[in-house]
Amino acid sequence: MEPMLTTIGLTKNFGGLTAVNNVNFSIYPGDAQSIIGPNGAGKSTFFKLISGEIKPSRGKIMFNGKDITKLPQTKVSHRGIAVAYQITNIFPLLTVFENVRVAAQSRKTTFNFWSKAESHSEISDQALHILEEIGLIQFRHDIAANLSHGDQKRLEIGIALATKPELLLLDEPTAGLSPTETRQTIELIKNISEHLTIILVEHKMTVVMEVSDKITVLHYGSLLAQGSPEDIRNNEEVRRVYLGGVKM
Amino acid sequence: MAELQSQAAHAATTPAVMSPWDKVVNLVSRYPVAFMTLFFILFPFVVPYQALATQIIIWGLFALGYNVCLGYTGMLSFGHAAYFGVGSYTLGIVLIRLWENVWFGLACATFMGGITALVLGYLCIKRRGIYFALLTLAFAQLLYFVAFQWVNLTGGDNGLRNIPAVPLALPGFSVDIHDPLRFYFFVLFFVVLALLLLQRILQSPFGRVLEAVRENDPRARSCGYETSNVRWLAFIVSGAISGLAGGLYALYLHFVGIESLYWVTSGQILMITLLGGMGSFIGPFIGAGVFLFLEDVLSAITVNWMIFLGTVFILCVLFFPDGIWGTFVKLIGRKSALKR
Repeated sequence: MEPMLTTIGLTKNFGGLTAVNNVNFSIYPGDAQSIIGPNGAGKSTFFKLISGEIKPSRGKIMFNGKDITKLPQTKVSHRGIAVAYQITNIFPLLTVFENVRVAAQSRKTTFNFWSKAESHSEISDQALHILEEIGLIQFRHDIAANLSHGDQKRLEIGIALATKPELLLLDEPTAGLSPTETRQTIELIKNISEHLTIILVEHKMTVVMEVSDKITVLHYGSLLAQGSPEDIRNNEEVRRVYLGGVKM
Repeated sequence: MAELQSQAAHAATTPAVMSPWDKVVNLVSRYPVAFMTLFFILFPFVVPYQALATQIIIWGLFALGYNVCLGYTGMLSFGHAAYFGVGSYTLGIVLIRLWENVWFGLACATFMGGITALVLGYLCIKRRGIYFALLTLAFAQLLYFVAFQWVNLTGGDNGLRNIPAVPLALPGFSVDIHDPLRFYFFVLFFVVLALLLLQRILQSPFGRVLEAVRENDPRARSCGYETSNVRWLAFIVSGAISGLAGGLYALYLHFVGIESLYWVTSGQILMITLLGGMGSFIGPFIGAGVFLFLEDVLSAITVNWMIFLGTVFILCVLFFPDGIWGTFVKLIGRKSALKR
């Protein structure tokens, strides 16, 4: 089987700082992979490179066999890669429903000036379906800014899902959540991973160990180790730089 | 699912018990165009004189166009005098030199407003925030100086004079529209047309993208929207409506002053929109009404009326950032929330 996404020698320099250094990474369809590493290891930069938000200094990104290295962010989104951001990035003054609906609409009817937005029932249905999946259906008429932090983070995932991606990048989806909310989000991610390919950046080891098939460890922008959760747990070097003191 | 969807369509939350005020606000917010048409039909009979009513709805129309940029897409333009002024000059020049037909003149004014916005918008839209505002200001001032120097075409400093008072050609007959009340209803026709058109656009998928762009541009981009193009289109629509308003204003005055292109006009439309409340249909017209009414009253008392208007504006921005209509809606909303 061909990998869905491959990066070859991916490198990003910010002036003298090398945030991502020569990373070779690949993920197969249906997998859920995690990327871990200390703060400043280059995880978020790696996501920004894949989603096309910033361009690499060197290296290549292949998605479904095609080179997407130079594509702008909007085109990458249309190819089927979506991001749920670490810092909640929703449309604050729109309703919860509209947040998801407008994202779903991006696949079809941007420059339609005449019909009523809600009359496109296929898009509305899809939005409602996603709201049900992320458990926010009862809040659909509320203004998104009024949701709790945990609900906003799930809405964030909902917006990403609404663009019908093949590959979903989740940047710390449980950051700042209570244990109960974290539990809910883990279940949500497990559900999503049954029909989507996922790359997850996360600090909470419980989350990482529970949802990933494979783990990649970054350290100072370079790839330190790669393997199953079991391998990583037992990897001496990983323990030394990152997991030292963290109970797994 | 169908039931959920119809509920979602009526996203407005209707409280169980409604006071009469709630009902008014609710009705007005739900059918703004019908309400405003009704109101504006009665309007010329309640203002001190009919010409003031005409001015108010022309500037209201301009503010409505401006609001597509500021209120719905979140772009602060400081150069909308350009599209208004170009509309004014286009109408004047067409009526004087090309064809004495009001419909054609106004169509040209709208078109030229849109084309100017298309060209200038292309140059400004890549920048955001303050840089965008400064670029729009710079280009508008550029047009001002062009009009100032090009005396043969524009009359330069003296303005474009003697725009003929042509009757309005309708199939089979023609009507003299230069009676104040008739002219008012002629303008109202275009205001209602613009309102209907904008309502349609804002409720369409494209209108929703505008709001998404206003709320969170980077996120809209990451959802796959080419937000620069979306902004550009909104800017063109805004420019076209401003051009129409400019054309109507020239028709009203039989004259185009050079100051229609001056930055003061851009500032005035920003003030009117903020005063009334952005992001609604009604706000711009309330803003235009309050602004022009105050100007009318205060300028009869003192030549320094701008001082008082400026004070009102500053107080408004400081204490009622949602504008008059926005504050009113919020107050009513809070009252009914307390009752529940």
